[in-house]
Amino acid sequence: MTALVIGLAATALVQLGLQAVQVWWILGSCRPVLLVVLAASRRLSPVQVAWLGLVAGLLTDVLADRVLGPGGIAGAVAGSLVAAVERRLELQGPMFWVGGALTAAAVFDLVWRLLVAALGASPDHGWLGTLASTVTTTSLALLVALAERGWGAWRAPERRRRRALKQA
Amino acid sequence: MTRLKLRSDVALVLTCVGLFVAAAAQVRTSQGTALYVAVATVSAPVISTANAIVAAARAYALGRQDLEAVLAELGRLRREGTQLRLTNHVLTAEVAMMRQASRLLAAFPDLGEGSVLGRVVARDILGSRSLIVDRGRRDGVQLDAPVLGEGGVLGRIDRVTDNSARVQLLSHPAAAMAARLTEVPGEGLLVGGDQPRLTGFPPYTKIPTEAVVLTTGSEGIYPPGLVVGTTGEARNEGLFTLVPVILTANPAETATVLILRALPGAPR
Repeated sequence: MTALVIGLAATALVQLGLQAVQVWWILGSCRPVLLVVLAASRRLSPVQVAWLGLVAGLLTDVLADRVLGPGGIAGAVAGSLVAAVERRLELQGPMFWVGGALTAAAVFDLVWRLLVAALGASPDHGWLGTLASTVTTTSLALLVALAERGWGAWRAPERRRRRALKQA
Repeated sequence: MTRLKLRSDVALVLTCVGLFVAAAAQVRTSQGTALYVAVATVSAPVISTANAIVAAARAYALGRQDLEAVLAELGRLRREGTQLRLTNHVLTAEVAMMRQASRLLAAFPDLGEGSVLGRVVARDILGSRSLIVDRGRRDGVQLDAPVLGEGGVLGRIDRVTDNSARVQLLSHPAAAMAARLTEVPGEGLLVGGDQPRLTGFPPYTKIPTEAVVLTTGSEGIYPPGLVVGTTGEARNEGLFTLVPVILTANPAETATVLILRALPGAPR
């Protein structure tokens, strides 16, 4: 629970930081908070992931100064769908991160657009924004996957044994 | 006393329905700005830290290049060369920004009085289609004030706090302005979106490509005669001739903006 709260807070700060003027402007549309929801889907049940998605979506609404609500619902839908897809396809490794982030970002933005349209309001970005958000979030997930693989290789028992043999 | 027990999934669905109803209420009533002010206050140090980290990383990369070059030539000059290059990098960025500001003031000499020059501190060009500038209510920035970039009109102020303001770009789907063409009589409505377009001209109106699009001021926000963009290839759609507009001000390359005084009749 504490790890999830810290993860959400850290990714929210990253999401804000990516909008700084010194950072490449394309990255401003990245949604790192969705990656916390994706990461949680490995351990939590789909309903719990949906609840986490709801919180992450509301956080996104607050950060983007949008109407509070559609982001939460979109996050819940994206969270439950990602958890279901991950279980159904048994995604692992880089495919888990890339496939999951692609699903989460695309579903989140599409459901959000649908809800905003249902409310009779106009969305604050067009299809290009949806595409940018999906691509940047998926790219970030790919980086996370690479980092995870690197970390796994670094901590692998085989590497330890090789080092021990070299020293001997 | 009865105790209500809800399954987690049912509670989730009920929460979503409640959120939807609450969102509908927010859409139909005016939004409070207290949350926005709180988020702006929290995000200001985060954004400045991110800017500092990227600037430091760039400075580090530049310093390393200097180091390699100077080590190859003369080790003694390494520290001095690195320092000079770092200073030069900072000064070049500052001078570029000052030049852009100077060109901006020169391009709009009649609008200088009461206007404020602002520096862009954050931008989300594809997402919320907005820029954040470092000037706010304390500097005289008002809601609905027109904002100009070097190439022309960028948009208008849609949020103001004491020390910052948010610019709604013309590419925002909700953006709109009255506009005219230099070579065609009449007035049209420019609406934003992924591809901003000018509508309101009668069907089969002959619109030349690359004609200059100017503001008319009829909507009460933008002063008349400001350059907005140029026309693309027009086509007929329904009862109107639809003209795609290529905006001349590029928010991705804008570092300094000119914030004009809001017109007295501007809707608040």
